[in-house]
Amino acid sequence: MSGPPLVTSRALLVGAPRVRVQLRPGDRIVASAGASVVAGDLLAERVRDPRLVETGGGSATSHPGAWIPAEPGRRGTAPAGELLFQHRGRRRIATGPHPDLVAAPAAGRVVAIHPGVELVLQLDGTGIPGTELLGDPGHGRLALLPGDGDGRIPLEVAHAGTIVVFPGRADAETLTRARAMGIAGAVVPALAERDRRDVVASEARQRAGLHRLAPFPVLILDGYVRRSLAGPVRDIFAILAGSEVGLVGGPPMLVTALSAGDLPLPDPDRVRVRGGPEVGREGRFVGLAGPRRLPGGIVVETARVHLDDGREAVVAVGDLERFT
Amino acid sequence: MTDAATPAREAGAASARAARARRDAFVTLDRGTATCAAAVVGRVDRRWRLLAATAVPAPAVPASAALVEILLDRVRTADPALATDLGLDRPGTIPPTIEAVGSVMVHAVVLAATEASRQRLEADATAAGWRTTGASAERLDPLETMRLATRPDVAALIVGTGDPPAADERDLVGELVALAAGVAERRPGMPVILVGAAAAHASEFPLGTEVVAVPRPHGDAAVDLRALLAARRAGPADARQALVTATATLAEVLDLRIELLEVGMSGALRARAEPGRDPGAPARIAAVEAPSAVLGLVDDDAALDRVEAWATLGLDRARLRDRLAELRLAPWADLGGDGALLRAAALRAALERLVESSAELDGPPPDLVVLAGGAWSSIPAPAALLVLADAIRRPGVVQVALDTARLLAPLGTIEDGAERARLVGDLIADALVPLGTLAIARGVRAGRQAGHLRLTVGEAPVDLQLAGGRLALVDLPPGQTGAAELGFRAPVDLGVRGKRFAVRATGGLAGLVVDLRDVPLRLPERADERRDMLGSWEAALWPERDR
Repeated sequence: MSGPPLVTSRALLVGAPRVRVQLRPGDRIVASAGASVVAGDLLAERVRDPRLVETGGGSATSHPGAWIPAEPGRRGTAPAGELLFQHRGRRRIATGPHPDLVAAPAAGRVVAIHPGVELVLQLDGTGIPGTELLGDPGHGRLALLPGDGDGRIPLEVAHAGTIVVFPGRADAETLTRARAMGIAGAVVPALAERDRRDVVASEARQRAGLHRLAPFPVLILDGYVRRSLAGPVRDIFAILAGSEVGLVGGPPMLVTALSAGDLPLPDPDRVRVRGGPEVGREGRFVGLAGPRRLPGGIVVETARVHLDDGREAVVAVGDLERFT
Repeated sequence: MTDAATPAREAGAASARAARARRDAFVTLDRGTATCAAAVVGRVDRRWRLLAATAVPAPAVPASAALVEILLDRVRTADPALATDLGLDRPGTIPPTIEAVGSVMVHAVVLAATEASRQRLEADATAAGWRTTGASAERLDPLETMRLATRPDVAALIVGTGDPPAADERDLVGELVALAAGVAERRPGMPVILVGAAAAHASEFPLGTEVVAVPRPHGDAAVDLRALLAARRAGPADARQALVTATATLAEVLDLRIELLEVGMSGALRARAEPGRDPGAPARIAAVEAPSAVLGLVDDDAALDRVEAWATLGLDRARLRDRLAELRLAPWADLGGDGALLRAAALRAALERLVESSAELDGPPPDLVVLAGGAWSSIPAPAALLVLADAIRRPGVVQVALDTARLLAPLGTIEDGAERARLVGDLIADALVPLGTLAIARGVRAGRQAGHLRLTVGEAPVDLQLAGGRLALVDLPPGQTGAAELGFRAPVDLGVRGKRFAVRATGGLAGLVVDLRDVPLRLPERADERRDMLGSWEAALWPERDR
């Protein structure tokens, strides 16, 4: 095994990622399996406020998941929709208006379609994984906001259409404002649970309107407690700034057309502290330091780390992570 | 111990070759969701002994060789002669390995014809370790059910009715099966378990669907649905199933009534075993898994309320939720400082939920409570005893021990019962760290002098006045035993009701703890007062909590 022993490794780059685009019963699929797509190509039309309609057996046999076109009947025309299931000659169809579009977040190929569940894409290029994506997938030009401070300050209308990276703090208010300014998506190091809920609720309110709405994906790279962008991720984003990227949710990641070989990887012994008193700091793994007692009385395995500020610290191995 | 004794489950052919060459040492691995615990066991003076143990983040050791090598190196450094005797002196040679693997959280959707059968099915699936989402044909929203059942995290679909179906089920079975077949069409590869009369509809599912039919005519008791579902959930060498086996073995070996409590990141387990009635008879064992009693999972406000009620760290509700979410993301991180306090609060909440979910196992206190799993090791050992006392308010006197090296699950994977019993018998003293004796009395009025305690160890008695509403602690180190006389001014419930009790106290890291607090525990409504009260109890058994 290369790199520091007993330290959790975290994938920094995923080559040719296979991603799922979530569908709901009633979504109308436009793409076909095996088709090549580029960023922005229409994959499906999203049903809004789906409802269940019961119709007669229809003129042709169908299997669950099939798209049933509108058919004239004795009591008027039965709407088009996805066949949920059929029982005793009666069809249950999921239907509704389809004002929203699901577009390909990056170039690739449609490898599988499961109606009402997911559409699987094999993307070209490379993915940079995160922990969660709020909202539907999207794409845009990457813009790196300066500084570690409050994200509200540097936002401007020139960022419309871009996916902005907040290197430091972001909250629901900032993200809602970004959306209102026409920004296409956001990447944040961390977002509190309350802010996540607010962003999702705001998205739901926006979707309640009648007009067609562009997606506003928010990719969260780490967790819930405030921390800054990891050095290796920041280095990659600096290279990607100005280029077209996509944000996808299954699994959550940022995707770029560049291959993994074109992007920098950190030294194998480079580590980041993700917990404890030195949280957020980065440095070089020096060696294991054996079991030590932490404040609070727990005894854990520890390691010596030469931090970037010149100090050498003993850190619990559980509090360290490295990027591979 | 005979020379033929070797671990029955070994990792890989290379390990098997090593086992034939050398039978004086082996390695145990307990791969949990959060941490991987490893231990080196060797034969010393014709007895198996624990030589070294540690636990590290589970994702950090996809291959265990590096971790085991670190432990072997410690053995070589500490006692080179012993390492040579056991054949551990050459770096790079890994002894045979016994491994238990923790289960991940698995989700099943339960579809039933009626609400009553849904509740029964969900209860069985939950006790078998599945997290469930249920729907019945009586209250079915097909769109919502389809959306829930086709989520990527759903690992199985359980469809059930009575057999024969009840009058109110007959009309609903067909539609239910049609919906389930629609789910199977969309999620190829997901197994479908048909219970009761639904089993007759297996042919209605798409070709290639794995359908498990469990007819159970007239609720056939011979078909143990819970065991079947548990087997479907568990992977090979499943740690929770192994812990159940190990609990039964402990009861046989110690001839004691044992209760094992395990809490983890993917669920929790409560198992009770008691020795067979006749000498040599196998132990009787009952176990319930509680997937809802997951450490730190706050999927709704009620779950957060539970943790907040036990929190002794000064965090507002939003921040507490974020810290718990971080705990779920990286449970191996942030163990020091208030990270330990957070875990203690989450552990109490999970334990409460485990006990609620396993009410069928309630009964008189066992002789020994064993705390197993990595979550208990994330707080100091004496604090673990306090967490137990806080969350399970059961009058009586019990010994408490901690499976600190996490040997029980790997030992429980050994298929040969006699071999397993020999190893457990040898390793008990090393595997189970005694925490002490916990006596919980009910009916003591808070704030009053309630009685006295006299603990006699050898020739030196220790006398202590007992006050209601408080914890009385007597230092009794591991390995020591004493005779404790408890006298109360008014009758109390200590498992049995009375005023004077004579109990045998065994020592441990927490000593003898006489808990005279309310049963059930009554805590102040105000958060700061509650925190202060919980903190004062924690300070008594956990002096390092602020250092």
